[in-house]
Amino acid sequence: MKEMKIVLQSLRMSMLSHLQYRADSIVATLAVFLREATSIIVIYLTLMKFDHINGWNVNEMLFLFSLLFITYSIIVILFADLRDFSRMIREGRFDRLLVRPRGVLCQLIANHSDIIAAIGHGMLGTILFIVSAGRVGVVWNVSTVVYYISTIIRGVLIQGGMFIIFSALSFYFVETNSIRDVFYWNMRKFAGYPISIYNKLIQGIMIYVVPFAFVNYFPAQYLLRKADMAQYPAIYMYIPPVVGIVVYVIAYVFWRVSIRFYKSTGN
Amino acid sequence: MRVYMEFAVKKFQNRLTYRLEFFMGIINTIITVVVFCSIYKALYAGTDSVDGITFQMVATNFVISLGLSNAFSFDEMFLQNKLHDGNITSELLKPVNFKFRMLWENIGEGVFKIIFYFVPAVVFCSFFMELSAPKDAVSVVLMGMSVILGYFVLWQISFIVQTWCFWLFSVWGIMTIKNVIVNILAGSMIPIWFMPPLLRKVVSYTPFEAIYFTPIRIYLGELTGSEILYSMTIQIFWIMVLYLIGDFFWKKGIRKLVVQGG
Repeated sequence: MKEMKIVLQSLRMSMLSHLQYRADSIVATLAVFLREATSIIVIYLTLMKFDHINGWNVNEMLFLFSLLFITYSIIVILFADLRDFSRMIREGRFDRLLVRPRGVLCQLIANHSDIIAAIGHGMLGTILFIVSAGRVGVVWNVSTVVYYISTIIRGVLIQGGMFIIFSALSFYFVETNSIRDVFYWNMRKFAGYPISIYNKLIQGIMIYVVPFAFVNYFPAQYLLRKADMAQYPAIYMYIPPVVGIVVYVIAYVFWRVSIRFYKSTGN
Repeated sequence: MRVYMEFAVKKFQNRLTYRLEFFMGIINTIITVVVFCSIYKALYAGTDSVDGITFQMVATNFVISLGLSNAFSFDEMFLQNKLHDGNITSELLKPVNFKFRMLWENIGEGVFKIIFYFVPAVVFCSFFMELSAPKDAVSVVLMGMSVILGYFVLWQISFIVQTWCFWLFSVWGIMTIKNVIVNILAGSMIPIWFMPPLLRKVVSYTPFEAIYFTPIRIYLGELTGSEILYSMTIQIFWIMVLYLIGDFFWKKGIRKLVVQGG
């Protein structure tokens, strides 16, 4: 319970610190919003010409994308420090946390939040959801709403788990940014689209190595039931909650083991 | 000229020291190309051609335009950083034209990325995808010239926005918005052939078509003889117009800076 209070307190502080520079924040937020909207504008224009991509029409595509943006906006509120963790290590700021009488991971979560990215991505995700939710043929009742909310939570757990694993690698190597760039940022480029359009190798990576498929593709399939689901085991639509917890637990254990190898860069 | 060449060479050598970045740059380019080619493979769904454009042409379009847009990226906060840390005053005192020095440094970086990111990525892609062969050797040479012109168009647009740092606290936001516009309208993410007719018409009156699309069309043989000459003239026209606009802001900005410095 005390841990929870710390997280909430950190959240409040990072919000307040961002509100200090209002004008600059608004322009930056708008810029992030438009930058992320680029792929949406492109897919919209493309589908004006082609109607559908592997059976997914424009609204279904927007729905698929919305999950990616909404989960990311929560990630950068909670895990921004883990996203930029290697810098924290290099500057020796991490040592500070070790001497405090609370769990290290608990102090890192929501310690700093990237509010600009959170609002930019969050706004975009919410708009896409509002535009598409009524047009994709999902009947919104208690069970689908619960499934949707749990989808968001597990999307956060999966990606948060990934950030924890990449951060834990910093205890072994000085430079981990490029590993993360390849496995997170580059893989994320694949994630906006139905994975069935890729070759088998990329599909395999998206399902089993960097499980982005469980962040948006399989949950969206559960709600939309598109024809291209036939090539994957149907169980993948039902296990995402488990995947979220499994990834997070693996990440947590890896973090606990790795932290013993930490050697400070400071003196 | 020799002095400016030296800036380009220095920048080129500078980039050589970061080994890991080679690898990252190539991977980055390949992945973006794979994403867009997979999308279009699904969109084509086995049909040979849409509006007379074959899948090979689309794939070639993406390899060239995405590859070049990755290779042609550079530090667009350079001028603002120089201004904010105050180094711009000592830079202006040096007996070189600061603007040309910026240009040549960026050219050095561009050449580096063409050789170490673009070429390997193209070679890699040509193993796994069927790309269109160039029409003939002459069109490859002409395309090369057109790529260079396209680079200048892209650079001038960036330079204009960079000079706004004399008036704005930070150009990051407006620069990002500019890049959104360039990314969409220059056709690196949606081939200009497939844009809605109205948008395509608008784009043909803007400098964006002159960045990647002109070289691509020359390479594919979509343009012939006098058409090539015509579109390269258009490229040069845009370079001159954008140069004048950039120069206007630059001169105004510098004057403002001098006033501030007292």
